[in-house]
Amino acid sequence: MIELRAVKAALKQQSIHFFVDPQWVIPSIIAPFIFTTVTLYLFSHTGGDLLLYAVLGGGVLGMWGNTIQSSSWSIGYDRMNGTLEAIMVTPSSLSSVVLGRCIWNSFIGLLNALAVFLVAQLAFGIDVTLRDPAGFVIALFLTLISLSVLGMVFGAFYVVTRASSALFQMLEFPVYVLSGAVYSLAILPEWTRPFSYVIPATWGAEALKIACFTGYDSLGLGYWGALTVLLISTIAFLLLSLQLFSYLEHKAKVSGTLVRY
Amino acid sequence: MNANEIVISVKDLVKVYPSAARLFGDGGKEKLAVDHVSFDIHRGEIFGLLGPNGAGKTTTIKMLSTLLIPTSGVANVLGIDVTKDSLKLRSRINLVSGGERGLYFRLTGRQNLDFFSDMYQVPRELKRKRSLELLDLVGLTDAADVRVENYSRGMKQRLHLARGLVNDPEVLFLDEPTLGLDPEIARETRALIHKLSEGGMTIMLTTHYMFEADQLCDRLAIISNGRIKGIGSPYSMKEAVRNDTVIEVEAIEISEMQKEQMKALPGVSAISLEVLEGRMMARMVVEDASSLIPTVASLLEGRKIISIRVDQPTLEDAYLKMVSSK
Repeated sequence: MIELRAVKAALKQQSIHFFVDPQWVIPSIIAPFIFTTVTLYLFSHTGGDLLLYAVLGGGVLGMWGNTIQSSSWSIGYDRMNGTLEAIMVTPSSLSSVVLGRCIWNSFIGLLNALAVFLVAQLAFGIDVTLRDPAGFVIALFLTLISLSVLGMVFGAFYVVTRASSALFQMLEFPVYVLSGAVYSLAILPEWTRPFSYVIPATWGAEALKIACFTGYDSLGLGYWGALTVLLISTIAFLLLSLQLFSYLEHKAKVSGTLVRY
Repeated sequence: MNANEIVISVKDLVKVYPSAARLFGDGGKEKLAVDHVSFDIHRGEIFGLLGPNGAGKTTTIKMLSTLLIPTSGVANVLGIDVTKDSLKLRSRINLVSGGERGLYFRLTGRQNLDFFSDMYQVPRELKRKRSLELLDLVGLTDAADVRVENYSRGMKQRLHLARGLVNDPEVLFLDEPTLGLDPEIARETRALIHKLSEGGMTIMLTTHYMFEADQLCDRLAIISNGRIKGIGSPYSMKEAVRNDTVIEVEAIEISEMQKEQMKALPGVSAISLEVLEGRMMARMVVEDASSLIPTVASLLEGRKIISIRVDQPTLEDAYLKMVSSK
């Protein structure tokens, strides 16, 4: 169950942590810049859509990394801090807390996007003209929410063990590859397609590219079609994460592993 | 307030831990942590769970505060089954653990209290008022807007207590509340616990400090190897060893083998060995000290005995006797 007040409290708490803890500057600000800068150098001799593709790919990868990492690490942080039990003894659900933090992470991701586009435009002089700016912002925000929700799925495993970071490290990069953030899904083997279609970020990336490039529609559903699938798959992953939280919380209460770090 | 009302009722509670935590499947060798424990706690009482490390104290308190699911048995807190209706119970109880962890160090004391007030859905109109009252109660008003990472250990423990009170719980569980605190801060913490109890709050605490249990608890249960060895008031516990005496032997060195030999002597019900600065001290609970002293002296032949004296048993001796019993 999701309690709005707990979601809001967790969002506020995450924002305070963000501003007082300098370590977040690395994944939130520095990493997206590095991704963007490296990609832009690689593509600097190209032009037109391909360069915009580089801005999109580099920036998006950096943002996604931050969003997915901070969301999945949410419970790991409480486990390390010794606050996991203090939260779990309250009437509010752990999933509400994680959701609140995820919303903040998505918001920061959106600010990152703005920063990345400014760097591309001001430092590299790239003409970042989007076909549909409003559609781009909507798709980006929903994609970030979907990645946060994916982070919740990974993060749920932190309830039972700190070793979840290994699982997360293992799954993070396949998500980037399979979602086709930097390149077209067409270059991936046919058998990987079902995995790509299941990941919400695939549809987010599709909607983003449609909003950027004139005539782009690699999955054939159009902007609103891709956004609808993104929304449906995000809700499905949210429900999956809530079920996982419920199952893994029960398991942790049976095995007594909540405080081990 | 009805002091006879039972607010915590525990019957045959058992907790078995699977030995290895795995994501799927329990597997491995099991560990019996709590073994058919039963007791009742009345409203407004301070009830202590006293026992050595690994005795099952924390496991018991975590089952009662809904953080662990019992393997079998029944536990009701405020008439609510801790397993079946844990969500309903949580708004009426709270848990405070000892030690430094369990707070958000990058947040201020006030921000920590605000966050947990929201988690307990404390009415908004009450939230700020209660937060101020609690900071005042634990003496942290001046440090309210200082980040917790800059707090001393004692300040952190006081903030822990304040956090445990944000929802004005009817039952407060305290797990080793004075663990690692210096004597002065520990004394203040005990005074605060006493004050809360006088206000009608039911408090269940775990401790392995004998004097703390003696000073604070209306009643206590001695637990060892997951089993309750005795329940009663500190006075009645001491009464149980009233007819015993204590032999206290100080020597430069007492080996583990000599300790076992002393323990095996007839009439010795418990023994503890303490390492002091440059010497060791064995404390034995015995039926008849005078007849045993020569035997004890002969057992330590070859070791330099500093002193042998006879003492009256304390709560610690009662505890030792119960913990040593099979």
